[in-house]
Amino acid sequence: MPVIIHTDKCNECNGSSNPPCVRMCPGDLWMKDPKTGKIVMRNASDCWDCLPCVKVCPQEAIEFRLSYQLGFQTARLLPHIHNTRDFITWELIDTNGVTDKFTIRTKVLPVELDESIEGVTPAEYSI
Amino acid sequence: MEKNVIETDVLIIGGGTSGCLAAVELKELYPNLSVTIMEKAHVDRSGCLAGGMNAINAYLNPGETPESFTKYVRFDSCGLVREDLVLSMSELFEYCVKKVEKWGLPILCDEKGNYVPRGRWNIKINGESLKPIIAKAAKNAGAKILNWVTATNFIMADGKVAGAMGFSIKNGNFFIVKAKATIIATGGAAGIYKPNNAHDAQHKTWYSPYNTGAGYAMGIRAGAEMTSFEMRYIGLRVKDTIAPTGTIALGVGAPQINSKGEKFMAAKYAHIGGDGAPTPYRSHGPLQEIKEGRGPVYLDTRHITAQQARDLKSAFLDMYPSMVLYWAANEIDPSKEPVEVQTTEPYVVGGHTQSGYWVDVNRKTSIEGLYAAGDVSGGAPYKFVSGCWAEGVIAARAAGEYVQKTGFAQIPENVLKDEQERVFSPLMNQTHKIDGINNYDMEVRIQKIMEEYAGGAATFYEVNDERLQVARRRLSTLPDQFKYLMAEDLHDLMKAHEVIDRVYVAQVLVEHMMYRKETRWPGYCTRTDYTELDDTNWLKFVNSRRDPETGNIEMFTRPYEQIVPGDRYKPR
Ligand SMILES: Cc1cc2nc3c(=O)[nH]c(=O)nc-3n(C[C@H](O)[C@H](O)[C@H](O)COP(=O)(O)OP(=O)(O)OC[C@H]3O[C@@H](n4cnc5c(N)ncnc54)[C@H](O)[C@@H]3O)c2cc1C
Ligand code: SF4
Ligand code: SF4
Repeated sequence: MPVIIHTDKCNECNGSSNPPCVRMCPGDLWMKDPKTGKIVMRNASDCWDCLPCVKVCPQEAIEFRLSYQLGFQTARLLPHIHNTRDFITWELIDTNGVTDKFTIRTKVLPVELDESIEGVTPAEYSI
Repeated sequence: MEKNVIETDVLIIGGGTSGCLAAVELKELYPNLSVTIMEKAHVDRSGCLAGGMNAINAYLNPGETPESFTKYVRFDSCGLVREDLVLSMSELFEYCVKKVEKWGLPILCDEKGNYVPRGRWNIKINGESLKPIIAKAAKNAGAKILNWVTATNFIMADGKVAGAMGFSIKNGNFFIVKAKATIIATGGAAGIYKPNNAHDAQHKTWYSPYNTGAGYAMGIRAGAEMTSFEMRYIGLRVKDTIAPTGTIALGVGAPQINSKGEKFMAAKYAHIGGDGAPTPYRSHGPLQEIKEGRGPVYLDTRHITAQQARDLKSAFLDMYPSMVLYWAANEIDPSKEPVEVQTTEPYVVGGHTQSGYWVDVNRKTSIEGLYAAGDVSGGAPYKFVSGCWAEGVIAARAAGEYVQKTGFAQIPENVLKDEQERVFSPLMNQTHKIDGINNYDMEVRIQKIMEEYAGGAATFYEVNDERLQVARRRLSTLPDQFKYLMAEDLHDLMKAHEVIDRVYVAQVLVEHMMYRKETRWPGYCTRTDYTELDDTNWLKFVNSRRDPETGNIEMFTRPYEQIVPGDRYKPR
């Protein structure tokens, strides 16, 4: 599974009909389940491991995992965006549990919790 | 299903690297023009830049000129490029880079305020957020953005392009965007060959798996002239993650070694630059080592310090974070052991190689009203981020001028109707429960044909006429199968069109590989029946045009013109 969602952390962006994780995936892989309102992955094997969904989630509810065929289970990589939005700290935990941190300059732009879709009003577009 | 009809002066298809810069340039030059971007994902994180970038790979560092750059690119492409195109894009690197820096991209500078070079043509950036930065500039400039609208075909009127059609993957609306000029900027094509990885890592490809050759396919269907598809791109990448190796090779100066520890590039390819040999040779060299039993092949990083290893990881986090997790998950320390490399699945990508639309120096295609920029545009390799920006700017300037003297075309009603039917038929098939094919099955089918008969990784990317004939015959049956494609939902419908587009690209690709009877770019396309480079007969471009009426693909050549003097096989 390249990406997983921690459902305990996801607050569905306070009822957003088109939340950031769903909007930012270049492959259209996350969707809001029309029945349950939960965020679900359409097809993990279509994931590019590019991480916009991970970085954009305000709750840090989505985690990137290496596909098991490429490496071991316990290693983790967690990006944290600073409140100032000009730095990102990547927390890297290796298979032995040793943590390392990388703080890198960037320019993260603010992201809205919802966004409308061309052609219809938000209430209509759940499929 | 509703219809959305939009009229715009200029339509840009693909809101990626070149598309965003094209939009800004147009609105800056002509504030009164309406500019619309049609994008299949969301412009904030779409296309190649979704994960970020850590370098600008085409830039004129102090002392370099458009001429010296063109000389290098010509050398890197084994003596054959459109020099007019390479010159014109390199003249705009500075303009584009300065612009994007002004929008907020952090570019690394030394104490004196000069950009930090990484190799001859590269500078280092912290580009994790590069895509949202340029997308915001396009929005701020006043371009109208249609996110989640997958373009499917051009609107053709009187032999001209008069906009494009597509559908929303969010609500299923059919979009008809009528335009006076259209810029195609949908990137290259991945997924034509069997991917390096399988199962849940099948999309762990280097090139964006969501750039599926739509722009090529739309042009092919409309009868646009295409060039150099046979120059496929097969990159040297880090084993398993398929991460770019430039970060390592250029970042810390790591030579390639084989399993015996021999620096084979330096030993065998010294006459063409050793580890600095043209890019195709940097894939061909290691392939030969592996073929002859001296694999695995590595980039030797054992000389680097612990700090340099950290810097490498930081650089990958800006562009390809999975690389860093891979090392942590496999207990690999690049300062203690060399980094294993492999070659990618073949891609068609005009920003690294030169496959794409045949354009003039204004990036005008062979069809009136249509301009092409970025990875989808041909003849000018070595574009990378900055060359794609430059081409977006050039195309925008030309399109902006063109619309001053054109109006909207009269569009025949059947063009719109036929396309709407074609676009939604996989959904209808699902509804009517026909005995159909799902998109994934067709994807695997085409990848199997291409892998086995058209020079896939398992055959060391080698082709010959007989194998290509088989590929041609097998592919020729696929278009008749499109009518059986099924789609459960709109996401699936997008994927059905992706696979349809790939078939068109694959067919043209096979014709191109068959036509060039020499091996100009070993590694990219090695012909076992014509093993040598043959300047006497093949110092020219192989071009194609599919007849929209008959579906026949006509092959022909265009002459090469040397503009920058000097030895075509020397980097300086
Ligand atoms: C992983 C990776 C790392 C790279 N690293 C670097 C680097 O560090 N430095 C560097 O200089 N270069 C780098 N490159 C190269 C560079 O990113 C690309 O050459 C460049 O971004 C291509 O620009 P483009 O505008 O042609 O395509 P893209 O930026 O990919 O834009 C194409 C757009 O078209 C959209 N699209 C596709 N099909 C359709 C359709 N049917 N309808 C509507 N929209 C569609 C896509 O969603 C996308 O937004 C890298 C490339 C990759 C893949
Ligand atoms: S962005 Fe995060 S919190 Fe919001 S819906 Fe997605 S996963 Fe949940
Ligand atoms: S990592 Fe990229 S491709 Fe995968 S789900 Fe997230 S945004 Fe989509």
